[in-house]
Amino acid sequence: MNPSLKFILAFIISLEISLKASLTTNLIVIAFALVYLLITKIKTKELILLIALPFIAAFTIFATLYWFSPTPDPYYAWNLSTRVYVYTLTITCVTRNTTATDFSRSLEQNLHLPSKFAYGVLAAINIVPKMQMAVKQIRTSAMMRGMYLSFWSPVLYFKAILVALNSADNLAQGMESHGYVEGQKRSTIVAIPLTWKDWTIFFVLLILVNISLFLFR
Amino acid sequence: MTVTIKQATFSYEKDPIIQNLNMNIPVGFTLLVGPTGCGKSTLLKIIASLYPKYAGKMTGSVDLHGLKSAMMFQNAAEQFTMATPREEIIFALENLQITPANYAEHLQKAFEFTQIQDLLDQKIDTLSGGQQQRVALAVLIAMNVDIFLLDEPFASCDPEARQFLITKLAALAQNGKTIILSDHVLDSYERICDHLFEFKAKTVEELSSSEKEKLFKQNQKLHDQSYSFVLPTGQPIFKMRQVEISQNKLLLKQDQLDLYGKATLITGANGVGKSSLFKAMTKMIEYKGNFTYLKREIKQLKPRKYLTEVAQIFQKASDQFLTVTVRDELALSKKDRNQFFTDEKITEWLKKLGLQSHLDQVVYTLSGGQQKKLQILLMLITGHQVLLVDEPLSGLDQQSIKLVLTLMHECQKQLQQTYLIISHQTAELAQFCDYHLVFADQQLKYVER
Repeated sequence: MNPSLKFILAFIISLEISLKASLTTNLIVIAFALVYLLITKIKTKELILLIALPFIAAFTIFATLYWFSPTPDPYYAWNLSTRVYVYTLTITCVTRNTTATDFSRSLEQNLHLPSKFAYGVLAAINIVPKMQMAVKQIRTSAMMRGMYLSFWSPVLYFKAILVALNSADNLAQGMESHGYVEGQKRSTIVAIPLTWKDWTIFFVLLILVNISLFLFR
Repeated sequence: MTVTIKQATFSYEKDPIIQNLNMNIPVGFTLLVGPTGCGKSTLLKIIASLYPKYAGKMTGSVDLHGLKSAMMFQNAAEQFTMATPREEIIFALENLQITPANYAEHLQKAFEFTQIQDLLDQKIDTLSGGQQQRVALAVLIAMNVDIFLLDEPFASCDPEARQFLITKLAALAQNGKTIILSDHVLDSYERICDHLFEFKAKTVEELSSSEKEKLFKQNQKLHDQSYSFVLPTGQPIFKMRQVEISQNKLLLKQDQLDLYGKATLITGANGVGKSSLFKAMTKMIEYKGNFTYLKREIKQLKPRKYLTEVAQIFQKASDQFLTVTVRDELALSKKDRNQFFTDEKITEWLKKLGLQSHLDQVVYTLSGGQQKKLQILLMLITGHQVLLVDEPLSGLDQQSIKLVLTLMHECQKQLQQTYLIISHQTAELAQFCDYHLVFADQQLKYVER
């Protein structure tokens, strides 16, 4: 499915589920997302992490509303805690089989967002693994100079921010040196298709979610 | 004329770095030389019209006569927007509004020119420094601009790759392109460069053919010295048994090798795994097998203690810095210094290396060569038993190279340190290094030449 459309779909579903309470819909979306992830052959380890990590948040919400609330409401507790899974699983479905590059290309081509925005998003996504590497590098180089930086050390993050600022400035210059001019027309060499099939899946899923939202509690 | 500069004055802070520069650069191959920190990168960025947009202030004019230019940065790794070489080339071609029908032709030209077929779909982050430089050049070739601005484009390239690329660039220049290139290593340019410009007193002068000849003769002398290495003996510092190191692919498969003290030069082609070896030795990446330091398995050593004994001087100088100004960095290194570096000694060397007047400058705004010199000084001040040095001479002029090597030599004499040095500049390091390790075909081997 087209990356932008997939993103918009996940966004609308998350928004609607936040506004209208329906436990059944939550469970249907969760089940659907899990089936999709299994069909696309997600690794078992990733899947376990995906279920285990949000569990902390989901459990806290459930505990607050069910055990520690003066007026315990089991339906409300279940509904809010399953929402956590709706958000995390739908977003995982969006990122599944879609690279950051495809996503930003799609933003530029299909949604006609300014290329500056699309490549800004890409830079933001790409900087995450870079920062992870940078943090490791900074800690190593600090130890080499007799300085131990723990994970809560301000020096570590100060330097990490410097690295990020520096690479942002370099990125702007790098883009321009490779012919990028803000606001200038660009050609499309790798096209991201947006087909009637994408639109059909989009509307079918959206309508199904809405029917379920309004029919079931 | 392809580039005409009139009355240009450029400054980052108060003092101008370029003053009243008038310069005409014709079609062909132009080489730009001058000591580190003189303003070569600045001038190239001005011609690329990145400056003064992104930094500094300028008066005067730069005219490219309607020609298109593109630039390759000194630090190639910082120039990429996309994750892989293929994507970066596509990005650049889309910027130039190349149609999909013409794309394949541009791409093919680029990877044939730079021989990067097998790198096209690898993550740029995982490529070696020399490979990144080749990719950066490939992007410019794909863009097929009129003016190529190349800032020390071969600093991390092995000699074969360097020779190969220079010959190819020369062919481009003959076909009517303008190549403007800055470099400290003058090998292989003598027959190729049409114009040689030298930075002098904040401006640039073209050298006459006799001056040119003199400069290249000096350079030739350097290579006429014969050198040889000996095979190591004595107590080994590191021992490798069935060691395997992989990054993307298997890089090293060493059944048995001992690494000894003193100074060892490590050479090998781009991407062979030299920097990865250092990464494994500093616990940045994992290895298989037994790799011991003074009879203790590196894997099991606590990094906090181990890295105060075995440290690395990184390929990219800015990776080494932890604070903001030169003064702060010095203060940090002084905390843990060895007895050789008294305050007087440090001041003496700051003066010699030309860093004394930059004490309050932010380290990231120093020129590439200045950063390198500071980085080496900082790491020598901190007392380590073993230093893994990754390309210490890249971006340094001959004078600076001499100074840095003298400093390292003095330091080693006093402290009996062990140096393992990765470099492509064998001639410069031959005097300094006792042993020579060649890295090829996933093996390290001591050689006498």
